[in-house]
Amino acid sequence: MINYIGRRLWQGLIVLLIVSFISFAIFEFIGDPVITMAGRYATAAQRAAVAHAMGLDQPFYVQYWHYLWNVLHGNFGMSYIARVPVLGLILERLPATLELTFVAEIFAVFFGVTLGLLVAAYPRSIISRISMTGSLFGVSLPTFIAGVLLIFVFAVQLPWLPPSGRGDVVHVIGYWDTGLLTVSGWKHLILPAVTLGLFQLALLMRLTQSGTVEALQADYVRTAWAKGLSPVKVLFKHTLRNVLIPVVTMVGLQFGQLVGFSIVTETIFQWPGAGNLLLQSIYNSDFPVVAAYITLIALLIVILNLIVDISYGFLNPRIRHG
Amino acid sequence: MRGMRTKPVRTGALCLGAAALLAVGVGSTTAMAQQADTLSVGVAVGPQTMNPQGADTDSNMSIMTNVFDSLVRRDNSGDLQPDLATSWKRIDANTWRFHLRKGVKYQNGNDFDWKDVKFTFERMKNPQVSEFLNFGALVTSVKPVDDDKWTIDITTKEPVPYFVQNLPQIFIMDKESTKSRSQGEVGLHPIGTGPYKMTKWVKGSSLSLDAYDGYWGKAPSIKHVKVLPITEDSTRMAAISTGQVDLLQGIPVKLAQAIEKNPNVTLVSRPGRRSIFLQLGNKEGTPTADVRVRKAIYLAIDEDAIIKNILHGHAKPASQIPDPPTIGYDKDIKRLSYNLEKAKKLLKEAGYADGFEITLTGPNDRYVEDKQIEATIATQLSRAGIKVRVDSIPKAVFFPKVAEHKVDFYLIGWFDGAYDFGRTYAKLLHCVDDKAGYGGTNGASFCNKDMDKQFAKANSIVDPDERAKALQKLNVMAAKQVAFIPLHYQEDDYAVSKKSKLDFTPRADTWLVFSQMSTGQ
Repeated sequence: MINYIGRRLWQGLIVLLIVSFISFAIFEFIGDPVITMAGRYATAAQRAAVAHAMGLDQPFYVQYWHYLWNVLHGNFGMSYIARVPVLGLILERLPATLELTFVAEIFAVFFGVTLGLLVAAYPRSIISRISMTGSLFGVSLPTFIAGVLLIFVFAVQLPWLPPSGRGDVVHVIGYWDTGLLTVSGWKHLILPAVTLGLFQLALLMRLTQSGTVEALQADYVRTAWAKGLSPVKVLFKHTLRNVLIPVVTMVGLQFGQLVGFSIVTETIFQWPGAGNLLLQSIYNSDFPVVAAYITLIALLIVILNLIVDISYGFLNPRIRHG
Repeated sequence: MRGMRTKPVRTGALCLGAAALLAVGVGSTTAMAQQADTLSVGVAVGPQTMNPQGADTDSNMSIMTNVFDSLVRRDNSGDLQPDLATSWKRIDANTWRFHLRKGVKYQNGNDFDWKDVKFTFERMKNPQVSEFLNFGALVTSVKPVDDDKWTIDITTKEPVPYFVQNLPQIFIMDKESTKSRSQGEVGLHPIGTGPYKMTKWVKGSSLSLDAYDGYWGKAPSIKHVKVLPITEDSTRMAAISTGQVDLLQGIPVKLAQAIEKNPNVTLVSRPGRRSIFLQLGNKEGTPTADVRVRKAIYLAIDEDAIIKNILHGHAKPASQIPDPPTIGYDKDIKRLSYNLEKAKKLLKEAGYADGFEITLTGPNDRYVEDKQIEATIATQLSRAGIKVRVDSIPKAVFFPKVAEHKVDFYLIGWFDGAYDFGRTYAKLLHCVDDKAGYGGTNGASFCNKDMDKQFAKANSIVDPDERAKALQKLNVMAAKQVAFIPLHYQEDDYAVSKKSKLDFTPRADTWLVFSQMSTGQ
């Protein structure tokens, strides 16, 4: 097990190195931050002075080496636009993104798995039929349209929920301000979390449903029914545990994608998360912010995948890590 | 993958959604209880830094102007007013004299004095923190002239006729607290002498301003302001129709009509300062070297159709680059009206009866409906036989291309923060001379020596009225030469919620100066 984790960590490190290289290289080709940074009336000489002060006149490999060296020392550089340290800018935004993604994931997993089981167990019920049709919308409706529709219905037509923002937050520790402890925070969270989780919900539901249909025909489930166990026990104890393995894989893999999708959701709902910051920074060629964001998110995803791999062992004792 | 798919669907479906959001003027029950002295403002582009001199973009200066003072400020009608300087005078070509205001305190308790002015001007030269490098480089010294040190002379290395006009953008910083704090701290926690203190800033979410008790001037009637950046058009519209904000800046032209129909909201518009125009080169051997060809392009563009169909009427046709308050604007320059027949005739005379091919470059994320305008111009010019290849690219790629003079024909927008056509000319139309700093944004390398001479002549004149006349002459020369093709002035649109009873006058510079606003209760 230790060996296995060590090997995965090593692989993760290589992935991070490659990701950081790509994110760094992309910027060689898009945009020139110096033009904005020097101001629009700057002369060529003044632009050169800015490039020099920022180290942008150095060859690519030197810049990349400096970047890596600084990152290893926890220094992600200064934003070209805000002219303040990048790490703080991202870290103060990350809790908002993670809270949104986390709540969206829970929403998706809870409803996805429950509905999937029900649909598989009772395929002819009305709820099942509605759910299966609805899941098609969930998979195919673009996040953008879903978000705008939800705002239209629940913020403008029925003024129940606020259309945008994050509401009141409570300071927890360090960079973490949470909206999960206030009523206004939850009110602001519902629409974006539903928007973000919708696709995942539909996907998990279909996955659980097909897995369950298969499992229900397995011998051990027939045995369980034959023993006269209650439907709850059969469905949740015997069936679900076996169905969950692909579901957990999917959740682990998709969590990273949720963080990615959250860029769109955050933009629609003006959710003050890191995705929102990323989009702004790309528009502004604020390269240090983008590079740091991509590196941090890659780190997060590497860690999540590791957790998923380890959790297999607990869900199914037959999986052994050699 | 799914994230990708949303892009193309966006525009169409989104507009429908947004229009629907607005069409219903729903009563605002989600609105927070509004107090008379509290204002909530939505903006399309939020502030990104609180580092004065670190941003020459209006979205940043608009907020910073509430926290900081400058030596000279502009009132709502655009006239210069005393601020930290009580009076000023140009005493010779290169020297400006300022009398400083006494008894002004920073929000951290420090006193304002001449050393802060000197410090600010020196800071402007630092490439690590400043976007005003060019202006900073012009200043050679800041020093007191009398014993009590409340009168100072600022000397420039060459005559800078627009010096005072540019000062409202230069916010004076506290020397002590700026030097003792890190660059990051300074950019996040502003300390100024202005009417408001920044009390909280959750980036991407909200920025709170509270009236500063120790402000030297008249206490503002609005005590608390919350600025909410809302980037997405439809969400911003939802914010004003649900009463989440009292004032909204940045109404997309497509949705202005829906705002007008909403019974709870008033649309407030004013002509924007920024003009949109096309620039082209006159290099020997290219079709556009011939003034008749440039004029033919001008005549073949149906600007009225662009304004009506693409901008939904929310723009004014332009005949020149500067806007009326800019020095050098000439009201007698008239727009050439659309005339396709005449355009064809001119092209024939110039030897291009069969037309020619040219690439129109332009940004697709910078100006109002820029991409659509570029496409429409290509279609209109094709009617005159000119084959236009359109290259609409992100601004982050476009502006470097222009700065490297790698374009032949391009769409760009401009206004001068110092209200001076001379400065605009030097940057956009002067023959390219990178050493002297001329023609930096002259992407197609247009060059006319006679006009450059007139520009040099205007710059040598100290008397403001004489200089204005010389700049007007330069402007007329540029129009005669068809050195560029004017299109229109953009319009600045705002929405005010009726319930807030906000007394709001939109400013030419688009800054939100909260001390000049009041909620009429």
